[in-house]
Amino acid sequence: MQILRSFVDDLGLYFLFLKEVFSTFCKSPPEKKYIYSQVLKVFQSSLLTTSFSGFFVGAIMTIQFAMQIKMFGASGYLGGLSTSGTVREVGPLLIAFLLSGKVGAYTSAELGSMKVSEQIDAIRCLGANPIQEIILPRFIGIILASFFLLVYGILFAFYGGVLMSYIFADVNTLEYVRHVPTIMTGISLFSGVFKSIVFAFAIASLCTFYGYKASGGAKAVGKAVVSTSVACMFSIVILDWFTTLIVDVINRWL
Amino acid sequence: MLASVNQLLQIVAIGVLSIFRPPYRWKNYLREISFVGSESFLVVIICVSFAAIVTIIEASYHMTLVVQSDAMVPGFASLLIIRELGSVITALLIGSRVGAGWAAEVASMKISEQIDALKLLRIDPIKYLVSPKIVGSVLGTLLLGLAANIICLICAMFVTKLKLGYPMPTFISMTKLFVEVQDLVFASLKLMTFGFVVPIIACFYGFRAKSGAEGVGSATTQAVVSISVAIIFLDFVLSYVFSHFY
Repeated sequence: MQILRSFVDDLGLYFLFLKEVFSTFCKSPPEKKYIYSQVLKVFQSSLLTTSFSGFFVGAIMTIQFAMQIKMFGASGYLGGLSTSGTVREVGPLLIAFLLSGKVGAYTSAELGSMKVSEQIDAIRCLGANPIQEIILPRFIGIILASFFLLVYGILFAFYGGVLMSYIFADVNTLEYVRHVPTIMTGISLFSGVFKSIVFAFAIASLCTFYGYKASGGAKAVGKAVVSTSVACMFSIVILDWFTTLIVDVINRWL
Repeated sequence: MLASVNQLLQIVAIGVLSIFRPPYRWKNYLREISFVGSESFLVVIICVSFAAIVTIIEASYHMTLVVQSDAMVPGFASLLIIRELGSVITALLIGSRVGAGWAAEVASMKISEQIDALKLLRIDPIKYLVSPKIVGSVLGTLLLGLAANIICLICAMFVTKLKLGYPMPTFISMTKLFVEVQDLVFASLKLMTFGFVVPIIACFYGFRAKSGAEGVGSATTQAVVSISVAIIFLDFVLSYVFSHFY
């Protein structure tokens, strides 16, 4: 019961926080140069991790699909199937898991330690709005950067799949690439991009929310980081299901 | 670089060896197992059930595209769940929930000089802090992961019934046809490896924490990131190795 109550409390606070952020954004959007500096910071810190994990996610999916496809002797379809599976589903999911650790936890730790050391209160004392000065550039910057990082990670997953199919499944690169367009239709690509946007929004809003909410000593910062990464993963899995349903509906409607 | 490798190896070696050396602190071991299990049980269960729904939908999409029939979906989906998704999603969730919790705990002990106090009392901090975590994490991840696999399969069974219209006995017989005992053994090995990695990385970054609130935050962040990357990388390595044994 306690868990449920705190969950509902957090949900309410989260939506109030979102409302505040959006109303501040409509009233006075932040300067572009702050947003760009945030985008640059996120890119610098997580480009390597994203490409590394994307590469291995693609490789894992290719191994799994190759083992299953071999039973039917349909190795020619390996390229299409593993690319489509990675782009539609597993790529965005696992890379977003990783980004929620990298970007989300970092930002909530940063904001949490600013909050704990009363720097955010100091900004309010100076007559500025902390949501506009601190939260909004990070919010928008993380949405933009995570979206591009996710798409970039999916691209690397494709490279990982190509390499693994050559090494592991004896499917050469041309054969692998030839079947990509036959199986991966526009709706699959749309699914991947749509999921990336949704996950980017989830990561950005949750990490700023938990960082901004932190209060107390050094322990509160650790707690904020833990709850950010858990909430991010939880909401990513649920949003994954939700977006799959939406894409399914769109697919039938087309 | 060399110093941190040395420290990591020290944590692994002393942590593993001192499990078998007295004094045994059984209470700590039980506490860590219950921490792993109780902290993340609900989250893992919910996430895995949603993952099952998505897996079935995606598998049926791909099968109808390639083979023009989704009769094989139950078998393929249960194979994918047991070989890959069940273990990886459980491990990533445990890594972020429990691993981050441990990193924050050890880091705040470090900055409040409790670890130095332990040394003063002639208690080896690695034995006192890391060994119970290793035992708790390996056993806890194994149990939680196997439970997650079972629940994921049950959810997948319901979804195949509701979404694709195959009755539940068909799902069970297809699963029996496709999944072998090896798969379960390999899944358990994977889960134990992931469970072994989580406390080691968490404590490694916890011991290295610098003072102040930023120290705890950055230790926790680095721990979460390294744990996730390590899990994905190890998953790749283990999948590659195990694929030669089928």
